[in-house]
Amino acid sequence: MKKRKNLIPWMQSMPALILIAVIILFPIFYTGYISLTNMNLYHWFDFEVIGLDNYKRALLKVDSGFLSALATTVVWTAVNMVLQVILAFFIALGLNTEGLKIGRIYKTLLMFPWAMPAYVSILLWKVGIYNTEFGLLNKILVSMGMEKVNFLSQNVPAFFSCMALNLWMALPFMIMTIDGALQSIDRSSYESAQLEGAGFWAKHLYITVPALRVVIAPAVIMTTFTTFKQFDIVYLLTMQKGSLSGASLQTIITYAHQNAFVSNNYGLSSAVSIIIFGFIILFSTWTNRGVKED
Amino acid sequence: MMKKMLCLMLSGIMAVTLLTGCGSGQGSKEEESVSKPQETGKEETADSEKEAVQTVTEPVEIKIWHDGDEAIMANIADTVNQALESKQISVSFEKKSGLTDQLQLYGNDAVNGPDMYFYAHDSLGTFVEMGILSPIKDLVDDSVFEGLLPMTVEAGTYKNTQYFMPVYFETLLFMYNKSLWEGAVPETTEELYAYMETHTDTTAGNYAVVNQHSTAYNVAPIINGFGGYIIDKDGNPGLDTKEMIEAVEYNKKFAALQADGDYNTVTTLFNEGKAAAIVGGPWLISGIKDAGIDLGIKSLADFKLPNGNGLAPFSGVQGVGVMKHAAEGKKDAISQVLVTLAGKEVGEILAISSNCAPANIEAYDNPAVADNEMIVAIKDTAQTAQPMPNIPEMSVMWGPAEGMLAAVNKSGEDVQTATQKYQQDALTAIEDMQ
Repeated sequence: MKKRKNLIPWMQSMPALILIAVIILFPIFYTGYISLTNMNLYHWFDFEVIGLDNYKRALLKVDSGFLSALATTVVWTAVNMVLQVILAFFIALGLNTEGLKIGRIYKTLLMFPWAMPAYVSILLWKVGIYNTEFGLLNKILVSMGMEKVNFLSQNVPAFFSCMALNLWMALPFMIMTIDGALQSIDRSSYESAQLEGAGFWAKHLYITVPALRVVIAPAVIMTTFTTFKQFDIVYLLTMQKGSLSGASLQTIITYAHQNAFVSNNYGLSSAVSIIIFGFIILFSTWTNRGVKED
Repeated sequence: MMKKMLCLMLSGIMAVTLLTGCGSGQGSKEEESVSKPQETGKEETADSEKEAVQTVTEPVEIKIWHDGDEAIMANIADTVNQALESKQISVSFEKKSGLTDQLQLYGNDAVNGPDMYFYAHDSLGTFVEMGILSPIKDLVDDSVFEGLLPMTVEAGTYKNTQYFMPVYFETLLFMYNKSLWEGAVPETTEELYAYMETHTDTTAGNYAVVNQHSTAYNVAPIINGFGGYIIDKDGNPGLDTKEMIEAVEYNKKFAALQADGDYNTVTTLFNEGKAAAIVGGPWLISGIKDAGIDLGIKSLADFKLPNGNGLAPFSGVQGVGVMKHAAEGKKDAISQVLVTLAGKEVGEILAISSNCAPANIEAYDNPAVADNEMIVAIKDTAQTAQPMPNIPEMSVMWGPAEGMLAAVNKSGEDVQTATQKYQQDALTAIEDMQ
């Protein structure tokens, strides 16, 4: 009887478990299987298991190009995350200022970039902001009598251009999280602090920040992952097929895409994917450990 | 207890319904294969056609996947269906975006996949190597190919075997705004450059000629004209050859006067009257017409490079390939469709209604076709145009070739360094295919 009772929760969660298995586990295992085969253009239907050869080749690809892509990705993630949290914190504080009029309208406007499909946002920025002929930035430069600048043709300006767009697209989520967290802080703590003579910085440093830490940690971890595996901004702004901008900025995902996914060599691409998957699992275990310690 | 039972039943039903989509789709096969020859009300024609009716008794529908302009495909489908109505053969075109990926999945699937595909010729080698295409020489008489422009037939040949029936083709053209262009259009690229220097003001955003100067397809006229190549027939990349370096250097000076070379930028500049001329293909025509531009067209072959050669763009030939399973199972119907697609009628309709340059030579005798300035210019260009390489290795060459052009034209990298670096990238990319 006890056994049966134990089975019932499993049976009831079966649909969800099947769904997870089909959508998440199956592709991972299948990719793992393909990575052990020689499935490529020349062996499309008659591929066979060839062992770990693809992994050997994929690891040989971990050359200077990969390491610089990894370094770029780490810098990209760190800079974006720091700026995102700081900016979102101050914007959310602003939104929670007492006596702020039409606060709801500001919030709605700030959510706008998040509601827009990423593809549309990126192309709009590419043409509307950065384009040499029609972009807002160049229109301003020309009206001030300065030379036009191609913001996406060199690595450093392209990095900052991608970063500005990433912040624009990602801030709403962080603002919303911090805004929600701020509203859960007991107002009386601030009143007591004020009575003790605490100023703006002291109040926020000793009350707001500690109270926020626990609430925004999951949001920060999630955003760190999406920033780490960022592909579409860098790809669509600088390396879209047929309109390369000239910058050779690579994150590990664009690097993997360029080196493994244009060749129709599914065996090799899968091996590269599994290696990146391994990296992300390690990274995630490490960050989760950090959370537990908190 | 009832509640528990209900919960379990619902869970079971959900689990089963989750998996229903994974069926093989056999059940729907019969419905799909019910062919519906088009009712056009055309009268019965020649006796020979009546004989053919006897050989193909059952109505047959040929499913063709494409990733092109639906209006063009509708024109082709109507013409073919009218011509083959009496033989109870009909074709239906289905648009599939990302056609290459779709064919990789369904190329050998007789139930869910197509019988033929309609696409550009440059993916031919990829599909042949995947083992999904049938040679078509056994399906069509040699005389049919003799009626087509030789360049288009060559484009459909892979490893000396004909796998592809060309229908129409495209090349880049020199298109100019008659109300902005001053004087006659030059005969040489040096005269063109001199005109560009005097008529371009980059700060004000006014340009003489714009081109996608860092897109390999758009620089190919210069590369081929200098005797260079992106990849040769044996799959050897040629990004660091002497001819390529000369061509890239030569293109660089034009690029400096052609805005950022992005497709959207250059077409908008031309359509808004900010550029007097553009190097572009027939696909730009509808936008140009909408912009109300008085368009003049000249073949790129008519511009001579300093070495005396005409500019030699790539040609992209659009046509059909036949899936192996269809060539075996629907041989007669496929043959009839191929012959009709290569015929004069389809060529004329495409030229007149859709501004496409047909592969069929006889179609150009039609006065309406002969009067079309753009089609005549494309046909003239066919004399110097080279079909895009159709070997599978070409698919990984666009990246390195364009990377090299962007590095030189946009990031100011040294030509020698860039060509060597990207040649290496190309070699690695080709190696990665194996």
